[in-house]
Amino acid sequence: MTFDIDIWIQVAAFTGGGLAMGFGAIGAAIGEGFTASEANIAISRNPQMSGDIFKGMLVGQAIAESAAIFALVVAMLLLFTNFSGQSVVAVCVILAAGLSMGLGAVGSGIGSGFPAGEACAGISRQPAMSNQLTTNMLIGSAVCQTPSIFALVISFILLFSDFSGMPVAPTWAAILGAGFAAGFGAIGSGLGGGLVAQTSCEGMARQPTSASTVTNIMLLGQAVTQTTAIYGLLVAFILLFKGFAPSESLGAAMALMGAGVCMGLGAIGPGIGEGATARSAVRWIARNQEATPELTRIMLVGQAVSESTGIYSLVVALVLIFVI
Amino acid sequence: MEDLGEIHQLIVPLFGHEMTFNLEPIIQTWIVIIGLLVFGYLATRKKSLVPGPIQTLGEVFINQFYELTADTLDKELTRKYAPLITALFMFLLLCNWLGVLPYLGEPTSDLNTTLSLGIMGFVISHYAGIRKKGLKKYLKGYCEPLFFMLPLNLVGELAKVISISFRLFGNIMGGDIIVIVVTYLVFSLVLPPFLTGFFFIFIGAIQAFVFTMLTLVYIAVQVN
Repeated sequence: MTFDIDIWIQVAAFTGGGLAMGFGAIGAAIGEGFTASEANIAISRNPQMSGDIFKGMLVGQAIAESAAIFALVVAMLLLFTNFSGQSVVAVCVILAAGLSMGLGAVGSGIGSGFPAGEACAGISRQPAMSNQLTTNMLIGSAVCQTPSIFALVISFILLFSDFSGMPVAPTWAAILGAGFAAGFGAIGSGLGGGLVAQTSCEGMARQPTSASTVTNIMLLGQAVTQTTAIYGLLVAFILLFKGFAPSESLGAAMALMGAGVCMGLGAIGPGIGEGATARSAVRWIARNQEATPELTRIMLVGQAVSESTGIYSLVVALVLIFVI
Repeated sequence: MEDLGEIHQLIVPLFGHEMTFNLEPIIQTWIVIIGLLVFGYLATRKKSLVPGPIQTLGEVFINQFYELTADTLDKELTRKYAPLITALFMFLLLCNWLGVLPYLGEPTSDLNTTLSLGIMGFVISHYAGIRKKGLKKYLKGYCEPLFFMLPLNLVGELAKVISISFRLFGNIMGGDIIVIVVTYLVFSLVLPPFLTGFFFIFIGAIQAFVFTMLTLVYIAVQVN
């Protein structure tokens, strides 16, 4: 059996498609299962509201599923596009596109299950708030999807840009690195953003008068939580568009891939941590509205400190790209 | 599909350097500015105690964002910065919604727009911080909690600009790309209007609000 370049590209397309949909299926399924379990509990508490709770569950699950649908789109593109007649770089491009979207869908899928579940619990606890809870859940889940949208953007850019003019030697590593940075980088922020949205639904159900404050602080907390995913996106953009001088040494190539892996993995922890910080802040702002300015300030400071490890990763990744 | 990522540029040679203008965002930004000016004129043309529909809309914007600013800043600063916050939100909202119209795109899907707005917020927040606290106390803020945290604090401040501008840019451009690619995949059947509604209208409004809130919070963090 001989392996020419077209076969390798086909191998990469099938593997990439499998990775995209395989990883992409993890998150959404967990999130949706969580939503359904909360909906069950909610219905048993308040059977009269079962219609509303069921509707809320389905809407929430539909949003949680969108990350997996992004992964499905990328997997389908990989399986059915004709890539033949391209260079060696295309092998890495295809793999990286699959990895980026697959990994990127994990966090957002799990994350958007949390607000949906808590919204169901909230509807049973406070039926009068059911419309506002659904709206808040939709906003929170939509913001949760942002990291997976970043991963999707990177994989679309990979698939639709022309890298054939670039030198093969370091570019293959830069492209894989970009996939890792965007993919891994999205996990933590997606999950963390879900934690924040979860308690905002809980708080709103407990204390309806706090609704607008809680939504605002939730958006703020989620936005800060996404910062490390944005670093991942930034590193991926730099790796894709900087244009590297040709070099045959494996060290230079590994530095570029290392930069991507470093930023990607380094973004997971801060994302979850900042989400946990904002979760508690939002939960207690709902119960103690007078303390809103104090709690918001402490939340931002705490998030900044927990983000510092993400900034270390960013610094190391930039050093790997620009210095070495 | 082929025109994905294509940008019309005007390149002007100037003293041996080249100045590059991205024509589309500039035109679109001017459309937004003119739209806002017309809205402002119509809202204030016939001011009355019983407001007409356009005046009501204007009052809704102004009331909401004055209240939001007053929650975060003190009274004097609210008077100073609430107009900025309101204008920023209205500008971003119209920018993000402009892509719904045929032949137009969002100026915010160009990184230059979001980055300049991010830098604007950065400069304003630091100016406000220096005005409020004085230069010495402002500089001392960078050496907290300990002096060797200085480089980290500096990187953290710059990272704020990057994160705020890339968040808006990534979301809006991501929505654009998703709509284009999915429209192509489904041969423009059924899905595109729903996707446009979700990514342009819904995500656009949320991201405009998030950007405005973050600018407000950056000012508040510097002031306190």
